[in-house]
Amino acid sequence: MVNAQHSLTSHSAEGRERARAGLQTQAVRAGLLTLSSLVVGLAIWQFLSSVLFNPFLIPPPSEVFRTALPMLASGEIFADIGISMSRILVGFLSGSIAAIVIGVLLGRIRLLHDLLDPIIELLRYLSPTAMIPIAVIWFGIGELSKYFLIFWGTFFIVLINTTAGVWRAPIARQRAAECLGANHIQIFTLVVIPSAVPYIVTGMRVAMASSFMSIIPAEILAADSGIGYLLQKSSMLLQTNRIFVALVTICVLGFFVDRVFRLLVERVLARYMSFVSQM
Amino acid sequence: MLRVHEVGKVFESARGRYVALEGVSITIKPGEFLCLLGPSGCGKSSLLNILAGFEPVTSGTVTSGGKPVIRAERERVMFFQDAGSALLPWLNVEENVQFALRLRKLPKAEWPAIVETNLRLVNLDTHRSKFPAELSGGMRQRLQIARALAADPEVLLMDEPFAALDALTRRHMHQVLLDIWQRTRKTVVFVTHDIAEAILLADRVAVMSVGPRAAISKVIEIEAPRPRDLTHPQVAQTFHEIEDLLEPELQRSEGLAEAN
Repeated sequence: MVNAQHSLTSHSAEGRERARAGLQTQAVRAGLLTLSSLVVGLAIWQFLSSVLFNPFLIPPPSEVFRTALPMLASGEIFADIGISMSRILVGFLSGSIAAIVIGVLLGRIRLLHDLLDPIIELLRYLSPTAMIPIAVIWFGIGELSKYFLIFWGTFFIVLINTTAGVWRAPIARQRAAECLGANHIQIFTLVVIPSAVPYIVTGMRVAMASSFMSIIPAEILAADSGIGYLLQKSSMLLQTNRIFVALVTICVLGFFVDRVFRLLVERVLARYMSFVSQM
Repeated sequence: MLRVHEVGKVFESARGRYVALEGVSITIKPGEFLCLLGPSGCGKSSLLNILAGFEPVTSGTVTSGGKPVIRAERERVMFFQDAGSALLPWLNVEENVQFALRLRKLPKAEWPAIVETNLRLVNLDTHRSKFPAELSGGMRQRLQIARALAADPEVLLMDEPFAALDALTRRHMHQVLLDIWQRTRKTVVFVTHDIAEAILLADRVAVMSVGPRAAISKVIEIEAPRPRDLTHPQVAQTFHEIEDLLEPELQRSEGLAEAN
């Protein structure tokens, strides 16, 4: 993403113009390919549900669209999206902040790392789903239990990535700064932390995807609102068309949130994301 | 003046004790260009790390201007072979040089002049807003030189700085380095395993024996005027002299590698 901009090194205005035109052609091409992929996908779906399978079990896209319209019009679906997103956001942000702070310490203080690593290595296998039953007992079915579950899922992913990033800050870079006169705090803040940014951001992206996976079971088992609850309620009432609306919503939402996340990173952190090859 | 006196370095690891250096002594004069020459694994990089203050000696002493070297300081700037990791990839050319000035705590008003001087010296003044990833290998090394000079050190410590560059770029970098050295008169300690490189650059070449217990086996003065030509009889003779010195060392080194 950074390189796309930086590869425009030609100095003549003409060359730059040509490069821009080339990028535009590429973008149009990519857009057309995405569009045809989606159209083919919908066509296969329509075919399967109306010809091969029972349309009650797999409602065709046309039916799903018809069901979605009133849900969109009444704002019902947006209320569910809003509540699920706010749960993800609170859990994800608090989990990321806690993980970055602790991860940085673990990456820097060997003793702390050696002491806590075995515990982390064991706890990370407890997925948020595995924690739902105890979360309900601890925090009830209110917002707090969902915040906790998303926090739990986010925390370990971002923690492990942050620790690795801090750990792998190149020795040559730290030593170079040291002999230019940097003290320990300066090496830490001006060299080690920026070097870890690509790792931290990668961890957060993975954690965001995982948050989308864990909010659904959490809301199915322990909530009275949100997309997961919509799934659960529709299942009880055998409303397969409403289930499919919820499933499509999850796909579209996850896709857009990831795009927004990438765009934010490109805008704010682009210069930290470029890795320099080893010559 | 850098004085290395009877320095020994022992590495303790799970695999045992390894005596890398033993009884290494040499005095490096201010403004001198010294090459540490030896085959791979002779401990020349260890010696350079000790000179920089990155690693402590096990025995003996190292002093810089009479003061013992116990940690890295701005008067001795290390220059790394892998410029990609030594530079800060999130800062552009100009900002990488400014990084050295910030650490020197110079007032910002003085920055532009120093940045300008040093970027011009290495011919990067027209590339100041590029990021390291957009530079060629040779340009990155030149940026590293500019950054090191901006710190205004007394000694430049260089660890096989041009070994990863292609032959043409390397020759060009030799000229750049000699030119800068002649203008600034910094002391240079340059580690290499390439006899030709050592002879083309150095005032003196310190030939190191192969480890374990590596030491400086001979110091050779190169008096031929610069720019030097390897086909010049006097230079060619020195080349063969060093080659003869290193030949048995290389065989020992290979023997050791096979024994392992």
